[in-house]
Amino acid sequence: MRIKIALVLLLMVVSTTISTANPGGKGDDIRSRDCAGSCHASSSSNGISSATLGITLPEEVYAGLLMEIVTSVEGVDVSSKNLVGMALLINSEGAKDLPANDGWEVITDPNGGINNYVEISDSFSSQTSVNRSWTLRAPSTPGSYELFLAVQHGSQEGGVAMSGISDSVAVQVLTVPENLPQLSPEWKPINLRMIGEETIITLETLNTDSSTVELKNGAEITIIPVIDGEFTIPAAVNPGTVEWRVILEGEGPAQTSPWFRLTAQTPGWSVDETSLYLQGFALFLLGAGLVLIQRPKEETTDKRYDNTEHVIELDTTVAPINTQPTEVANEGPPLPAEGLPVGWTMEQWKYYGSEHLNNLQGGEVV
Amino acid sequence: MFALSGVAFLLCLLKKGPLTRETVAHWALLGGLLATPLAILTGINSSPGDGIDNPLLANKLLLSMTSAGLAIGVLVRRKLGGGVDIRHACTGMISVALMLTTAGMGGEYSRNETLLFFIPKETVLIFPIWASVILIILGIVILGKSAIQHRVS
Repeated sequence: MRIKIALVLLLMVVSTTISTANPGGKGDDIRSRDCAGSCHASSSSNGISSATLGITLPEEVYAGLLMEIVTSVEGVDVSSKNLVGMALLINSEGAKDLPANDGWEVITDPNGGINNYVEISDSFSSQTSVNRSWTLRAPSTPGSYELFLAVQHGSQEGGVAMSGISDSVAVQVLTVPENLPQLSPEWKPINLRMIGEETIITLETLNTDSSTVELKNGAEITIIPVIDGEFTIPAAVNPGTVEWRVILEGEGPAQTSPWFRLTAQTPGWSVDETSLYLQGFALFLLGAGLVLIQRPKEETTDKRYDNTEHVIELDTTVAPINTQPTEVANEGPPLPAEGLPVGWTMEQWKYYGSEHLNNLQGGEVV
Repeated sequence: MFALSGVAFLLCLLKKGPLTRETVAHWALLGGLLATPLAILTGINSSPGDGIDNPLLANKLLLSMTSAGLAIGVLVRRKLGGGVDIRHACTGMISVALMLTTAGMGGEYSRNETLLFFIPKETVLIFPIWASVILIILGIVILGKSAIQHRVS
């Protein structure tokens, strides 16, 4: 029996498949490519993605200023979840590859966050190309830099995690010209807002005499006036993203910022935590109490072990043993002719009479 | 631990298997309970959000507290000499089932995968505070009454 059980267990162990992927993704975050098992384990256990990966840069990138890049994932069939993890990196070595290591700052990722790794759900297939925009702040030091786009995704067959990385894309970061109208290096856009709320955005600019904001909602572009460096984006009715950019004019050449994305979302789920904890404590006490107050049912003896009837049957075949103590009449020896010895009582005669007669040696009664 | 306990309680319910099933059921349940705080702490540390901002988390809390209450009740009742009858075994199994459901919901929260499709995990039933207070008082009264019963018996 033990051998059979051991064989079954061994068969179960042998029949397992090795899959180290997280099919549902791990969520957007700041991640290195070799994320130590948190995404798709080490690249050595992955398959190679067939995706064609690309990064499109603006014509000019100025040190410390905002810029927009577009990443593309093309020609790849993924798992049924249509989920691809994209990571923006600075090398392909799997270590020290975060954009921040070179001074890049992710201002807005494709999902409206500030992460270098995002998970995108879209219609990925061998016939389509999926593009996503990122807003970055360039390193503050001019020079030559590199950017890479890495992807991680499942496969249609399942089982094996796929991983891929683009070729190096060179970025020449230029010194900012004097008097260039620009957004202040300290200024950051707002990425998220709640549905139904107007959004007032205050611009902080340098070398700028006037500015104009363009708001893109779908294919429609509207001009929003900027008054004292402030402008208002109307409230959103539904969850979604609007894009806006600012055109800065001053003594230097006019500058157009990248498109900033403002995502409207429904308020998150919330609960009165006091009520929740109280209810949890109440359920705990009630659960324990209801179990403890249970009266034990009449114990039903397992019939397999109940031999009572058999014992009773056996009992009737054996003669009853009289355990009652036998009452023996002890009246003592017959009284001699002269009667009780002097000073004796009948009670004493009953118990000591025989001994008295033996002592007399030759008494009339033996 | 909880799974082992559940299987042992099932054997108790069916009155099958070795007689050690009762011992295994209760000790495994105790082991699972002792490990639960560790699971809670590691779960909180690995949770991406702050506070209870997801109905799954709220339901996890309610289910695990209910399960822990039932489990402690089962263990204490056994310690006080209660027999392992059908109700006792069923209560043990319910406690284990609730705790395993809680663990499954934790997996769904972190990995977005689940096999428990049929459970309405997105719905949270929150009592008003006064109802919870009444339940707490009721629980304390029941616990007190059961303590007197056990002392008398």
